[in-house]
This record gives sequence, structure tokens and C-alpha cells, in this order.
Amino acid sequence: MRARAAWRSGRVRIGGILVAIVLVAGILAPWLAPHDPEAQDLLALLLPPAWAPGGQAAFPLGTDTLGRCVLSRLIWGARVALYVAILASLGAMILGGVLGHVAGYFGGWVDRLISRAVDVWMSFPPVVLSLVLMVGLGVGINNVVLAIILVDWTRFCRVLRADVLTVMNRDYVTAARLAGFGHVQTIWREVLPATLPLLATLVSLEMGMAVVVEAILSVVGMSVEANVPAWGVMIADSRQAMYQAPWNLILPMVAILVAVLGFNLLGDGLRLALDARQSGARAEAP
Amino acid sequence: MTILRAERVVVAADLEGARVPVVRDLSFRLDEGKVLGLVGESGAGKSMIGRAIANLLPPRFATVEGTLRFLGADLVAMDADKRRALLGRDIAFIPQEPRAALNPVYTIGHQFDEHLARLGVASGRERRGLARDHLAAVHLRDPEHLLEAYPHQLSGGMCQRVLIAMAFASDPKLVVADEPTTALDVTIQARIVDLLSEMRRTHGTSVLLITHDLRLAARVCDDILVLYAGRPAEYGPARAVFERPAHPYTRCLQLASPPLDGPRRKLQSLPEHMPTLRALAALQGCRFAPRCPTRIETCSREPALLDRGHDHVVACHRAEADLALSPEIEHPGPARRISAPVVKVESVGKVYPGPRRWLGRAPDVVALADVSFEIGRDEFVGLVGESGSGKSTLAKILLGLEAPTTGKASVAGIDVTDPSATAREARITAIQMVFQDPQSALNPRRRVADIVTQAMIAGRRRASWEERLAKTKTILAEVGMPADLALRYPAELSGGQRQRVNIARALCSAPSVLVADEIVSGLDVSVQAQLLNLLGRLRAELGFAMLFISHDLSVVRHLCDRVLVLEKGRVVESGPTEGVFASPASPYARALLRAVPPDDLATPWRPFAEAEDAAA
Repeated sequence: MRARAAWRSGRVRIGGILVAIVLVAGILAPWLAPHDPEAQDLLALLLPPAWAPGGQAAFPLGTDTLGRCVLSRLIWGARVALYVAILASLGAMILGGVLGHVAGYFGGWVDRLISRAVDVWMSFPPVVLSLVLMVGLGVGINNVVLAIILVDWTRFCRVLRADVLTVMNRDYVTAARLAGFGHVQTIWREVLPATLPLLATLVSLEMGMAVVVEAILSVVGMSVEANVPAWGVMIADSRQAMYQAPWNLILPMVAILVAVLGFNLLGDGLRLALDARQSGARAEAP
Repeated sequence: MTILRAERVVVAADLEGARVPVVRDLSFRLDEGKVLGLVGESGAGKSMIGRAIANLLPPRFATVEGTLRFLGADLVAMDADKRRALLGRDIAFIPQEPRAALNPVYTIGHQFDEHLARLGVASGRERRGLARDHLAAVHLRDPEHLLEAYPHQLSGGMCQRVLIAMAFASDPKLVVADEPTTALDVTIQARIVDLLSEMRRTHGTSVLLITHDLRLAARVCDDILVLYAGRPAEYGPARAVFERPAHPYTRCLQLASPPLDGPRRKLQSLPEHMPTLRALAALQGCRFAPRCPTRIETCSREPALLDRGHDHVVACHRAEADLALSPEIEHPGPARRISAPVVKVESVGKVYPGPRRWLGRAPDVVALADVSFEIGRDEFVGLVGESGSGKSTLAKILLGLEAPTTGKASVAGIDVTDPSATAREARITAIQMVFQDPQSALNPRRRVADIVTQAMIAGRRRASWEERLAKTKTILAEVGMPADLALRYPAELSGGQRQRVNIARALCSAPSVLVADEIVSGLDVSVQAQLLNLLGRLRAELGFAMLFISHDLSVVRHLCDRVLVLEKGRVVESGPTEGVFASPASPYARALLRAVPPDDLATPWRPFAEAEDAAA
């Protein structure tokens, strides 16, 4: 019922298609990519895309300074982007979501403690905080995921706490307690289903953000190693020859744009479609 | 002079391409200085008429036929600018939710000033003086101070007075009041109604009063139009309609509300509920026929609105017939022996610490002070009091949701503050609650069966879905609901059905005490009667005690053996229902009783007799 309503929104549809493209590219990379992303063809350096003068049909989107196939690298790069996007956003969701529910549900000093921690955490600029974390944790893609989780859990925590508070006003939560439900059971059965649409929305927005953060850290060499095809690495590599071969810079940027746009449109659309609280409730009003 | 004249007005909704008339064949006349009452339950279309006048119909609704002549000019055909100029100036509105109608971020003075500026008072100083005078005219004390106040600092009744002052500020020809008292406390309601009639007299304004309360309308209005499912059922002078109702719907409405004096009688309950928009589209013939106790074959033809010998017009084929609708007197059973008490409350007090301020704290709030009472097995006790009198706090203490600051309370022998697991487990079968608002009390994401039997999977219990379904069927049968509703979601149920589910859930663990918090106050009279009859039947079949919190005295009188009157956290009166109602001792109980207009129009209604006596 909800899913169909969500699909009716144009944002969800376009966002869903864009995300699906990135997903398919990432999952099926070994079969979709025409070349090995690391294979160098030193006789075909800095080729333009196939449709431009001088392009070759074997390299549909041209080659980079080492003669590597740009299309293949873009397709493989989707893997890194998705890996970070999914793990980081789920991690931030679990950490922030659990703390947000605990704070909103129990209230009192538990709430004060968690909320103050969030306030302090949020007072650090996110970019600085993530760079400091990367320096402390060390370079590597898994540390990128960890850094994003540690920076962005506050967003989940704060928004969900507010949502939990409104759900707690509902009598059905009290009714569940009176029927003998434990705290965990009450949160799981009565509170979580109500906050789930918001959670889903935040996760999809967070995925877009994670893609950008990973690309930034790749460009400055703090994420994957240089021999792993990632969009940020491609941008970094293309800087030397950006005047001779601007497509090497533009194409990974377009890939990032598509992925982020897809996640954001999906998140935005889901928010509009799912947040119309209890859409069925007014069906009867005359 | 006729102020407002409606002729064959049809308001229709566009329902997936089909045109469904929500108001049909509506004609009435409102003369200068008169009050016309539009009476009907929710879904009758009464608010649609107010909205049609204000040009505020919801999207996909439109006035498709007929004329609404205001001083001879048709509002429906009038262009938008001209109509907007009339609204708020010659036609004023008094809303149902006074708090929602005032902007919370501006002071009363600011909002009044804006309104007067729109009416064309140029000088700011003059506007301020006028605002003060208008507020004084609605008997608000210290208007100067009030102009600086924000809406949240005022009570609901004060907000409504401000809105009434604003409505009459332009000396309008017509005031449309849509349920102006529904959201207020009973004792305040009477004062607002009184103010409304006083303002009408001094300004010579005509009033269109939209209400669900037939008794109130009979007192206040010159004419009454009873609406059912968008069609006038009965229209004529208030006295004639109220004392000699000819339409079975009007009669059922009267017989469905419990009386405040005289013998207890069985409530006439209509089956089902008002047709929904969808059902309306398919309905043929008389719209009331599916629920009518006196239905005959002719009723498949739509009856015309005619004078059928009752000195007012009625839309019913059976109006002449001697309808077998007479009240059934209920003989009170043998007086209940007060058996061993199941609820014991001993000098319970509850104090909330005042909110923290810049330095130190605000003074403590005393919610309950030294409350003691007992409830016997199978006894129904009514708890009456204004909002803020501590009724809900008392309920929370009994349910173990809040701990009392002083005193002791126990239910079925278990202390309410005992935190041990066995005590908590035992409390589940000892006491349960039926909540006020079924909209908020039922999780919209769960099916009826899942909601009703949630106690069967709570804690360490593990019932299978089959067991739960079987239990749901038994309980639904007990509360008079068809078993096939077990797999519906709350949004698919009507208001009355939701409240039944609410009751069913509380009954699932077979508690010995039920706490019911205003469980019928949000419902229409005919649905309320169904539920009151149901509670009476369940009591006989299952046997449980009940603490029935309500501000509706007639309902309390109908249902309860004893009454407790709570005022500012103290029990000011308690005793057997009949005794308290016959000779109330506390001033508060007397004020509550007087706030309800007597059934017999010959008995004068003097809601403020006491205040007047005190003033004299």
C-alpha cells in the first residue's frame, strides 16, 4: 500500500532508477566492464571517447594517462562507492538509531546524557572531524567507513529522538506497557514501526553523503590504495592531464553526481511519500 | 428581513470521477436577529454548509446547485473578490477550536489590531481603544493586560471569548458558529452559549449555530434543522421539533442520550453509523432507512420534506404513523452490596515539582491531595471533574504509571508501587485501561487481532497466531463486532468500531478493574448509546469494576453506582449517584449539574444561578 504510493512520486522513480544503475554497475562489474580496470595499454594513452575524433571503439569512454579504460574504471569505481555508502550509512543508522530511540523512549537523565553528547559532537565541523579521525585511525577504506559512522551518527540520533518523542505521546505505547510489554519489546513493536519511514529516508540521504565523503578522502589519498579503481582516485589521477583530457576529470564527477542525485532524490521522495503520517486515517472524513 | 436564504443547495464531492452529493436539497431561511440551529452528528454535512458560506470547501468539494442568498445576493454566483469583502465583515465566523484559530506567535492585541485594520479603522490608537472595548464587552477581565498576552497563556474559554469579540467587532449581519463549545469544559460551555446569545441581542445579529447537541439547540435557537447524511430530516420552530419530533432519527437521538432526571431508561441505540462518503454514493431512497427501526417498504423511495401535521416539515413516509419508539424504563436491580473492595486508595497525594527557572524552581504543582476511596467488586464508579482537576493523574497512579507522592493505593490486593516482576505480572490481570482517543490508542500499523490480543505475547508469554485469532473472535463477539474485522487496520474502521476495539483490548486479559478515560465523549450520541449499552451488558456478562472518568453527567448517571467529584485535586463530594444528583452538596457539583440544559423546555435553564445569587 505504502510502496505503491511511494512509487507514484516522480522523485522516487527517477532516484530509484539512478540508484539501480549504480547498484547494477557495482554488483556486475566483472561482467559489465569491457577491460580489466588496471590493465595498461601504453599505446593508447589519453584517448578521447569513442565518438570524438581520434577515439577507438575498444575504449568507449577513452583512456587515462596510463592507457586504462575509463569506462571499466568507472564501473569498478561504483563498487567502492557502494561499499562505503552502504556500510557507513547502515553503521551510522544503527549507532544513531539505537541511541536516538533510547534517549527518546526513556527520557530523563538518559536523554540528557545522550543529547548533550550529540551537542558536543556536532559542535565540531564535520570535515575537520573526519580528517582528524582519519589521521588517528590511519589510511584505508574501512577506516573511511568508520570515520563516516563516527561523524554522522549524531544526525540520526537527533532526528530520531524527536520522532520517538512524538510517538511516545500516543496512547498505544502506554497501552503496550499496560499489557505487560518490556521496554525492548515496546520499542521494537510499537515505536520502531512508526519511525521506520524516517529511518529509511535518512539512510538514503546518508548514502549520498557517504559517496561524496569517500570521494573527497580518495582524492587526498586517505581512502583506498592508488591501485584500486575509485571515482576519487580517478579525479586525483586526471589532474596532471586535465587540459589535454578533460573527460578524465568530468566523467568520474558525473558518476558521483549521478549516484548522489539518485540517493537524494530517492530519500526526498520517500520522505514525502511516507511521511504523510497515517495516510489512511483521513479516508473516512466526509 | 431575511438575512440568509438557502434554496435547494447541493454540495457535491468528486470521488474518483463520480459526483457524490454530501449536502442535498437544503433549503432554509434565517431572518434578522434569529438563531437557526443546524443539528446533526458527524458526517451529517453540517460543517459543509458553514464552509460553503465561507467559500472554504475542501478540495474536490463544490456547491454545484442551488442558491445561498445573503441579503438578496447569491453567494455561490458572486465573484471571489466581492465575496471575500463580505467575509469577516458582514459575515463572521466563530470556530470550533479556539486555540487553533489564534496564531500562537502573535499577541492577542496584535491579532485584534490586524483584524480591525482590515475592517478599515485607520488610526492605531483608535484600534487599540476599540479592541479594549470589544474585549470588555465579552466580559473578559483586565482587557488592557490581555492585549499583551499570547494565546497559550489563555484558557480555551478565554480564547473563545476573544474570538467572539473579534467576530462581533464588525457588527456583522450574520455569525456562523461551528460547534463553538465542543472543545470546552461543560461549565464553560454554558457561559459561552450565554455570551453568544447576549451578543446576538445587543448587536441584532443573526446566528447560524452548527451543533451536534439537540438539547442545547432547543434552548438557544429559534428554528432547528436536523440533518442526516446531508439531507434535512426535519425543519421547523425549535420548540416544535424538540417537543414533537416526527422523524425517527430525531426521536432516536433524543432517546439515545441518557436523561439527567426521571427514571433510568434503556438507551435507544441505532445500528451501525452514518454512511461514509463512499456508502452515500450507493444509497437509494431514504438515507436513514438502513438504520431506521420503523423502516417499511415505501422507504426505498425518497420522502419529500413536507408538513405532515406536526407544525413543522419532516422528510419521512412514516411521520404520521404511530412510531413504536417509546422509552423503555429500566428497573434498577437490587441495590448492590458493597463487597470486599477491589480498589483501595488511602489518602493519596501527588505533587509535581515546579519547572526549573532561571534561579531555583517555580512552586510545586499539587495534582492530588489526600484522596481516599474504595471501589467494590463489580462496582462502577464515576469520576467527575474539570480538566486539570487531577482525574488523569489518579488514573495513572492506579495503573502504576506514576507513583503517588504520599499515601497508598492497591488494586486487587497488589500495591501499585510494587516494582517486583510478580506484582507487575499480577497487575496486568488486575487493572486495564480504555483510552479516550481511539485514534491515538490504536497503532495504525497493526491489525485488529494483533492489537486486541497483544497481552497474549507480552513479556514472556508466547501465544501462537491461531490462538490469538481464536481469542480475537471471542472478544470481538463480546463487544459486538463481526469477526471478519479481525484482520482490518484501524483506519478502515469507524469511530465507534475503533472504540470497541479499544475496549476489547482492555478486556483481553480479563481484568478485575477497568479505567475508562472519557471513552464516549468524542463520539456521536447514537454511537455513544451503543457503547453505553455494551458496557452495561459486559458488566453483567463478565463482571468487572470500573472507574469511569467523564465530564458528561448524564452518562455518569446512566452507568455508575457511585460518583466521586474531584476539584483541584481534592474529592469534594462522593456518594451514590442518585443521591449526589438529587441534592449535590458541593458548589462544583451544582455548577456541573446546572451546566446541562434540562430536558423539559418548560423548566428554565439558569446555568449561573449560583454566581448570580452570590453577586446579589
